Amino acid sequence: MFSYVFMKMLEMRPTSYDRQMELASRGGIRAVKIEVANEIPAKSHVLEIGCGTGELAEMMIKRGATVYGFDFNPNMVEVAVKRIESSGLKGKLSVHHMAVDGMDTLPDAAFDAAVSTLTFSELNDDERRFALKHAQRVLKPGGRLIIADEVIPEKFSKRLFHKLIRAPMVAVTYLVSKATTRPITDLAGEIAKAGFTVQKETRTHSDAFAIVVATSANQRRTW
Amino acid sequence: MNPFKYIWGMLFRLFPCPVPVGLHAIGNPDQDSPVLVTCNFYITVRRLVRRLRGYDIWLLVAESKGVNVWCAAGGDEFNTHSVVSSIKTSGIEEKVAHRRIILPVLGAPGIKAAEIKKQTGWAAKWGPVRLDDIPQYLDNKQHRSEPMKRVTNTWFERLDLSFGCLFPFFLIGAIGFMIFGRHLLVDYLIVGSMAYLFFYLTYPWLPGKTGLVKALFIDAILFLLLIGYMVSGVQGPLSIRADLIIAMVMLLVNGTELGGLASNLPSDLDPFLARLDVKNIGNVAFAGTVRTELLNGIRTLTLNRDRCIGCRSCEEVCPQGVWDIDGDKRAVLAHIEACTACRACIVQCKGGAITPELAP
Repeated sequence: MFSYVFMKMLEMRPTSYDRQMELASRGGIRAVKIEVANEIPAKSHVLEIGCGTGELAEMMIKRGATVYGFDFNPNMVEVAVKRIESSGLKGKLSVHHMAVDGMDTLPDAAFDAAVSTLTFSELNDDERRFALKHAQRVLKPGGRLIIADEVIPEKFSKRLFHKLIRAPMVAVTYLVSKATTRPITDLAGEIAKAGFTVQKETRTHSDAFAIVVATSANQRRTW
Repeated sequence: MNPFKYIWGMLFRLFPCPVPVGLHAIGNPDQDSPVLVTCNFYITVRRLVRRLRGYDIWLLVAESKGVNVWCAAGGDEFNTHSVVSSIKTSGIEEKVAHRRIILPVLGAPGIKAAEIKKQTGWAAKWGPVRLDDIPQYLDNKQHRSEPMKRVTNTWFERLDLSFGCLFPFFLIGAIGFMIFGRHLLVDYLIVGSMAYLFFYLTYPWLPGKTGLVKALFIDAILFLLLIGYMVSGVQGPLSIRADLIIAMVMLLVNGTELGGLASNLPSDLDPFLARLDVKNIGNVAFAGTVRTELLNGIRTLTLNRDRCIGCRSCEEVCPQGVWDIDGDKRAVLAHIEACTACRACIVQCKGGAITPELAP
């Protein structure tokens, strides 16, 4: 799971991204996406923050959802757009080249669910706060938020192990792709702070990966 | 302040040393206080905070992947999106009543000022080159005097930068001597540092255009000394031959990338690596970039005067003073010899008049 930092390298070749991520995570990433897709209420309109190549979007669409996805990597967006054509997702999936700071342009209470996998670990503190604030705004009351990402283990021994294992991978990734990911210290806490009610948090891979499911406030807030 | 991090940042200047991005209040800023933008390189932020003591300022630390302003802007790590994202997500919009930011002018190769206005409504203006000038700039109603627009190359700057960049190589040498020639380690440390100090303090006066030629000039003198010593049969200290050789090698290492470490010289090594078709080493790209192609003469900096709209951006952002403005208020490529191919003028030109055209 620590190998998710390699994602930054694989992003350099978007067409083979999914296949290679699959290898790097030894099948883990697909399992995570399936789990996330299963959390989506049936026939919902979903916002995907950092949709990448659209793999998760396609899984959700197969479950009857429609997806509005955005990603800041133009090459990934290109692959996702091709997927719309090749998998016949027209009308079900729209993909936009946008960063999270563009989320303020999305309409209020427009989505039943918002999902994000391996994106929050690429954002800084301010961007994560901003993304959660606007996720809260664009979700319908009681809408679902599902975020799966790299996190820092809580236990000291696991944290140390995580750091040691991860350090060389970070170095290699940085040298090749000049980018890295930042595991999040308290993902569930940040989500709760943004006004969501955390339903469950599933930790895997020695606590270094988390899937958090939360619901937005039932009362509409004034913005 | 974290002294270990400061020392790490100082000695390993070639490596990123990030601080968290976000908004910092310096002093007691209010809704009318100026907003300064900077990179998230630890050393820069520390020095800024120290220099701005006594002022009431909003300091917006934007993403540059922990690299300094100039290098990060050149490598597109400190870019328009870094600043746009910071403006929108940091909460600065609720803190101030105005919509003006001051950008570090060495960020011009990466940050498009006009684009920031388009995307956020914030008007961006360029601050001074050196952070030491910022207090005077603020006192002076945010007006940049001519010297504030241009890079300098003082002895302190030369030592500060070269030391930070060359230290890892010096360290590798020291480890080498520790393993393979411990009896020469002390010589290496003393002679090596002296050769380094001598070179960086005196290079502006050494003959030759590039660092390598300057270093070879001194090496030639040392080589003659070495030959003279060997044929004269004079009985000196035992290690004098080794010391001379250490000095010569050290000078060559220091000279190889002098340009890249001197603020007013173009890189020597990068265009050379580009000619060898090296695409990149780590996060620095060589072959195929506009910068190395300009330096290698594959492209030339070209001004199309008909397209110049008189925005003065080129003159505002060029840290080397390459551009003049004529009586028609239009740009003139006046001092191309001073250009170090940073691309700031190309990026900022509002009329698209400045382009890196392929040489005939």
